[in-house]
Amino acid sequence: MSAYEEDDRSVESNLIRPYSLTGGRTRPSRGDLTVTSQVVAVPSMGSADLDPELELILSVCARPVSVAEVASRAGLPLGVLRVLLSDLLDQGRVVAHTSPWEHRRPDADTLRSVLDGIRRL
Amino acid sequence: MAGPWTVVEGDPPVPDTLKIVVAGGFGAGKTTLVSTLSEVESLHTEEIMTSRSVGVDDLAGVEDKTTTTVALDFGRITLDASTVVYLFGTPGQRRFSYMWEELSQGALGAIVIADTRRLADSFDSIDFFESRRLPFVVAVNCFDGQRTHRAEDVRVALDLAEEVPLSLCDARDRESVKGVLVELVELVLRLELAGAQGPL
Ligand SMILES: Nc1nc2c(ncn2[C@@H]2O[C@H](COP(=O)(O)OP(=O)(O)OP(=O)(O)O)[C@@H](O)[C@H]2O)c(=O)[nH]1
Ligand SMILES: [Mg+2]
Repeated sequence: MSAYEEDDRSVESNLIRPYSLTGGRTRPSRGDLTVTSQVVAVPSMGSADLDPELELILSVCARPVSVAEVASRAGLPLGVLRVLLSDLLDQGRVVAHTSPWEHRRPDADTLRSVLDGIRRL
Repeated sequence: MAGPWTVVEGDPPVPDTLKIVVAGGFGAGKTTLVSTLSEVESLHTEEIMTSRSVGVDDLAGVEDKTTTTVALDFGRITLDASTVVYLFGTPGQRRFSYMWEELSQGALGAIVIADTRRLADSFDSIDFFESRRLPFVVAVNCFDGQRTHRAEDVRVALDLAEEVPLSLCDARDRESVKGVLVELVELVLRLELAGAQGPL
């Protein structure tokens, strides 16, 4: 549903339910996961005894994939996903790579090669 | 590959990512623009506006609290093995500025889609990106029969600074959207070469 279809009326009630998956926590245990951070499951860790949501997340990131794509494919709101993913990171079940460009702007050479890349599309 | 947790080794390589924010009013063409160049179809997620937006850290026991979901469309464009661009479409009303704030963090820049039928819808996001000093371009979406608009008239109507690139575009057209992306990255490059980049 588009955010606009509910433009002037906030949707109430059970939207908050997904946060029961996090035990009510809205803040991830770590602040370094961005929507474009790439995450990948650590295969050797196994997933026995995990909650189904966590298992689903691990299966979605069997290959490196962005946090936003994990949220999309797992059908979880970003905020919820980020809390759960941070837990998996803390447990060593997932590793993540955040682009250096989240912290410092790409230099001129990088920007030029990005331009070339876009023009080639 | 730099970055704090470069623990992922070997194949497949983990790319570095660039993020671009796409803002625009209701029906301005955000979803269309984001998906036109995307290699994956209709990626969509939602954010629940709670925590940072209303200052609640722990939602246990506040199940009846009023919340709003924000729809986020995004697209992925792989430039090469080491570089992937993500476009994130976000709603244009000020009450969603919480989302703009979050998405602008670490972003390369932004595209504001202006719909000539409702130009005022883009004021808020333009103000936001200006105040945030995030480089942005304005793409005037040409809906059928609206091609008569001159770019300069729109610039005046939007009270846009001269250095902000503005172009007419068709969000459904690959070449047109590529042109908008090129404009944005060229702007960022100009700012970089001039040493005029705002804080990240
Ligand atoms: N003629 C024309 N139509 C367009 C263009 N871009 C989008 N459309 C059409 O306009 C309608 C709205 O486009 P969307 O991409 O869904 O707009 P949006 O900004 O995502 O809309 P919301 O998410 O509902 O706010 C769709 O039917 C598109 O096919 C364009 O450049 N030219
Ligand atoms: Mg849309």
